[in-house]
Amino acid sequence: MQEIKFTINGKDVTGGKGQTILEIALKNGFDIPYLCYHPKISKTGACRMCIVRVNEVMLKTACTEPAMEGMKVITEDEEIIKIRKGILELLLAEGDHNCLYCDANGACELQTLVHRYNIDQVAYEYPKRNREIDYESSEGLKRNENRCILCGRCVKACGEIQLSNVWSFTDRGGHTHLTSGLYEKIGDSSCVKCGACVQLCPTGSLSFQTVLGRGENWELTKESSICIYCGVGCKIDYYKNKEGLLVKTIGHDDGPNRGHLCVKGRFGFDFIQNGKRLSKPLIKRNGVFEEASWDEALDLVASKFIEIKDKYGPDSIAALSSAKCTNEENYLMQKIMRAVIGTNNVDHCARL
Amino acid sequence: MLTTEDIKGVIEKRGSSKEHLMFILRDLENISGNNQLEIDVLEKVAEITKIPKSTIAGFVGFYTMFKTNPRAPFIIRVCKSGPCHVMGARTIFDAVERNLGIKPGEATPDGLFYLEQCECLGVCSVAPAMMINYDIHGNLTEKKIKQILESYKSQKAIFGEKCGPEVEGKACVIDDDRQTKRLLVMVGKVDPLSIDSYIKNGGYAAIRKAIREYSSDDVINIVKDSGLSGRGGAGFPAGLKWSFMPKGDMQKYVICNADEGEPGTFKDRVLMEENPHLIIEGMLLCGYATGATVGYIYVRGEFRRAIERLQRAIDQARESRMLGKHLSGSTFSFDIFIKEGGGAYVCGEESSLMNSMEGKRGFPRFRPPFPAGAGFMGMPSNVNNVETYASVPMIIEHGATWYKSLGTEKCSGTKLYCLSGKLNRTGLVELPMGTTLRELIDIYGKGIKDGKTFKFAQVGGSAGGVFGEDLLDLPLDIDQTIKAGVTLGSGVVLACDKDTCAVDFLLNIISFFAHESCGQCVPCRVGTSQLHFLAKKFAMRTAVEKDIDSMIEKAQLMKQASLCALGQSPILPITTTLKYFREEFLNHCNTRYSCPECDMTLERFYR
Repeated sequence: MQEIKFTINGKDVTGGKGQTILEIALKNGFDIPYLCYHPKISKTGACRMCIVRVNEVMLKTACTEPAMEGMKVITEDEEIIKIRKGILELLLAEGDHNCLYCDANGACELQTLVHRYNIDQVAYEYPKRNREIDYESSEGLKRNENRCILCGRCVKACGEIQLSNVWSFTDRGGHTHLTSGLYEKIGDSSCVKCGACVQLCPTGSLSFQTVLGRGENWELTKESSICIYCGVGCKIDYYKNKEGLLVKTIGHDDGPNRGHLCVKGRFGFDFIQNGKRLSKPLIKRNGVFEEASWDEALDLVASKFIEIKDKYGPDSIAALSSAKCTNEENYLMQKIMRAVIGTNNVDHCARL
Repeated sequence: MLTTEDIKGVIEKRGSSKEHLMFILRDLENISGNNQLEIDVLEKVAEITKIPKSTIAGFVGFYTMFKTNPRAPFIIRVCKSGPCHVMGARTIFDAVERNLGIKPGEATPDGLFYLEQCECLGVCSVAPAMMINYDIHGNLTEKKIKQILESYKSQKAIFGEKCGPEVEGKACVIDDDRQTKRLLVMVGKVDPLSIDSYIKNGGYAAIRKAIREYSSDDVINIVKDSGLSGRGGAGFPAGLKWSFMPKGDMQKYVICNADEGEPGTFKDRVLMEENPHLIIEGMLLCGYATGATVGYIYVRGEFRRAIERLQRAIDQARESRMLGKHLSGSTFSFDIFIKEGGGAYVCGEESSLMNSMEGKRGFPRFRPPFPAGAGFMGMPSNVNNVETYASVPMIIEHGATWYKSLGTEKCSGTKLYCLSGKLNRTGLVELPMGTTLRELIDIYGKGIKDGKTFKFAQVGGSAGGVFGEDLLDLPLDIDQTIKAGVTLGSGVVLACDKDTCAVDFLLNIISFFAHESCGQCVPCRVGTSQLHFLAKKFAMRTAVEKDIDSMIEKAQLMKQASLCALGQSPILPITTTLKYFREEFLNHCNTRYSCPECDMTLERFYR
């Protein structure tokens, strides 16, 4: 990439030709506020929060304006602050942004900016439109569109990352709102519950069913781990509350998933802390499962395999391997079947 | 209920890719019998075309001409935009309601008629107007409405050449010899249905001359020299725009913006209806100059007759080898296709227009990239207005110097001015750029109607500024209007007399913007709603003085921060109206202030 040099707030910065002002500014530690921009999706340029001053006169949205050699960028001045305040006030007046009732309280990009720009309570007189609240139709996500700022991240997350195209804007002007499918409820639509839209939502408009009443955002602690469901090995940040209960997952950017998850990784974590989960091997004796040691259990399985093989031949045994295993584990499974048992009866659940 | 076979038939005819969605849905609505796009039908369309359901839902929701609820065989759309409003649209609603016993959003008990409000229908010289399906009726009176509605009761819904304004394009041109007709010179003389008639009157000579005598750069240079500036409203120099198109063999497009939606404008409709080949020739010249091989004309969906006539002209031009491969024995190939709009003012903004052409919601795009870099389908595209393309053939034929012989120093040529409102004579006139408002009103409009006095005129459409008496002698060209803090826009002159209430007028304009905002960017989406709310407060006489400042502040924020020109527009009508009529706004802050105009609007639209 061809290198270009320009200044942000008087400091020299370098970036690649074709990169936007915002991309280069963020990389260089400049704090330009934004709401519709997200690095994982294509540019939108609709929230207008990232307006910066270019070459002393022009106001441009940093998220869409390509940086140019010799450009002079000012990220904030009096006029820009006024514009940003104005936009935030419009957003607050348009929706119902009461943090008391909101799942995103403490983890809301809108809230952060409202604090940063010292926005007072806005006039209540402006008309608000009642938009959709749906806490029930989907087992994975819930939505309260009165908290929506129509940034469009969800639309693009679904269309560009998951490729499901469940979300779209419909109607227009002040009546603009979201629809899933053909005016369906989200639970009735073709949503596969990957949760990408929730993960990218800057406010509490979209949230996970799992977080309901399970602690404040600032109480949650996170631990990174690898998803156990398949060989892709997605990296996940698991969030747990004060009591140690897992409440939600966010895809981690460093993994092969680059922050994305599927429904299993996103929501399939309740078994971990389920009381019914097996934590020791059990052997059925006289019709009753009894706790056993690993040595006991493995010896029993091995001896039964040998017995079956001797009695009915190696081809009476088959192995179906799991997609939850890694490639290496799957390799070992076929190796043991071929070399130890002596059969080619090997298959894998991902092939079904 | 449409069968799967019906739906398949339409999709097969139109093509299944997303860019044909407008046609598919319009066809389905037309054959549905009650002008409805049922959810089941849309679901089938999604299934067959593989277009995501949500995309179709978003598309249908964006374009106001489509509805998913049942309507009726005849949809009555009464125009509520500026010129019709001033000329009494509110009483037209009353008359229709009295006649049929229905309110907007309702169907008659016999299931024959369905009533809706709509924005400008482009017949502003015969305001007030309404459209029944695709037939536009103007000069409405209570008696006439009764007759019209009666006549439909024994008719079947039709779509085709017969549709369109009952007042023909040529009848909308003011009959006055003092005009300097260049664009309109053939209107009324040439038969719009016949290419032979166009050719007999000297048509297609310019493109032949260009192919014979000029290189593509020559054509661009001649257009540059002529000083032709865009006639859609922004006034960007056309030749310069053409020169931005990249050289090379990539697919390039020439797009004609015929989404004439600026309230008060009807010039493009007259050109399309009366001389469609002139536009085709202009586009051919642009294609030749820029190396584009495909042209599109995006016509608003309401202009049925213009669409029919353009399509017929295109077909004839193909037959006569004026469109197609290797034209006039050269290496130049060019063909033109029509795209239709669906009832969205914002699609007249060039990037929204291209999104709409691609079968998407008409959201404007951020710039860069500009259309010449990445336009329709991401390929280099040149977008100009109908009047701009129509001006090109004469420039090539007679030369830049000839073209510059009329007009002002910086804005050459003639301009089509659309006169509407309270004038003794309304219609289209062609005069040199820089004609004054006084001349337009006194000479061509024959003065203010019924001997009343002039109060103000809005010039440039709803996005234009209000002119008081002090600006009557301002030359109306692109440059000098900007210097005076107003705009020529698309050439609209909407004249208002002393009976017009400035508050009511501004409320009408702002309600237009609130209705037409696309809703993508925050300042415009929320700003237009809040402006509408504030303007309504004055009309309701519940406003306080500081609401004036609030309006200006919000419009100012929209001007600074909006993504496209729509959101940047309301500031001009607001500040110019307040410049002259602040006192009137203050009067409206008094709850006991009497204003029949505002009362009538509130009763009609906000009850």
